[in-house]
Amino acid sequence: MNVTVASPPVSPTSVSRWHIARPWLGTLVRLGLAAVWIVAGGAKVGDLAGSGRAVNAYDVMPYDLAKVIGAALPFVELALGVLLLVGLATRLAAGVSAALLVVFVTGITQAWARGLQIDCGCFGSGGQLGAGQSPSYGPEILRDLGFLALAGFLLIWPLTRLPIDSWLEKK
Amino acid sequence: MSTRVGQKQASRMVRDQIAREKRRSRTLWTSVAAVAVLVIAGLIGWGVVASQDSGSYIAPAGAVENGTGIKVGTGPVQIDIYEDFICPACGQFEKQTGATIDQLVSEGKASVVYHPLAFLDRASSTQYSTRASAASGAAAEGGKFREYAKALFAQQPAEGSAGLSDDQLIEIGRSVGLGDAFAQAVRDGKYKPWTAHVTDEASGDGVTGTPTVRVGGKDVQPTTQAILAAVG
Repeated sequence: MNVTVASPPVSPTSVSRWHIARPWLGTLVRLGLAAVWIVAGGAKVGDLAGSGRAVNAYDVMPYDLAKVIGAALPFVELALGVLLLVGLATRLAAGVSAALLVVFVTGITQAWARGLQIDCGCFGSGGQLGAGQSPSYGPEILRDLGFLALAGFLLIWPLTRLPIDSWLEKK
Repeated sequence: MSTRVGQKQASRMVRDQIAREKRRSRTLWTSVAAVAVLVIAGLIGWGVVASQDSGSYIAPAGAVENGTGIKVGTGPVQIDIYEDFICPACGQFEKQTGATIDQLVSEGKASVVYHPLAFLDRASSTQYSTRASAASGAAAEGGKFREYAKALFAQQPAEGSAGLSDDQLIEIGRSVGLGDAFAQAVRDGKYKPWTAHVTDEASGDGVTGTPTVRVGGKDVQPTTQAILAAVG
């Protein structure tokens, strides 16, 4: 994709500034999203059975399926984090990230709508809340929407500084 | 001259074409590689859990037929209690309702199946939930499940702590009259696979938190009043 500023730019300095800043901003976004996945996956990978129970607490699938999803999810999250960290297939990784986040937001929303009393299990723990604990669905959804914005940025502008993608490009 | 320009243009077009195709195939292959990485990662998780599942367990004496809990009493109404030895709400429940339930059992009104599960291994640095549950299995083998469970709740460690050590678990066992066989079973972690079975089956039965109480298979609030009302 070649971005050329052919037509007379309205405000040349701001446009070129954006062009210089964007790839670096993109790098921050990419590394930020990578950190989110690595922290989220890392928090769950030590207790796969617990991760399965957290998925089961959403009460949207049979327990046997929830166990498999719960076990696979932390590893997929870690792998996504690593892809974003090194910048390999950034647009694809951003797309998968966005899809996963949409699923998470949907899951939390349906739990909220049905009045389930659960912890989202986003960064470990999860499952039913104890007596006297109240769920914090709103902040959890807002946080995930924030991450979704990061993924959206990379979907639109996947070319960032210091990725493997552009190193491959030069080969 | 014009032919040369034409040739130049043509060769540039070919070069561009080749470059574009090269880029396309590179994008394709990096995408394939990335998808492969994600799929393999998922399969690893699946594989790890599948291999953990295969463990066989020994249910202690006093366990119900499918091994999912310890049965106490012979009353006609069945109460199922799912609890985790480190869960503060379970400690509260035991303190407030334990005596009532013991009474229902001794009066022959209800039988209780205790499911000592390990949801909260993360709440201690030593997987206290699993160790305590496995120790309660060993206590059941020695015929003192209920006494031991009560003693454990009376000395419940806080969430976020290291929990009680195996030596302390054994010491508590001795205080309720359990002997060397119990101590050995705790040290060997003999009933840990059983704990995993209890935990897994409880999740399969839709238990997502502790304490969960069911009377006649139906969820009931874990309060004295609600349980008495449900038992009737």
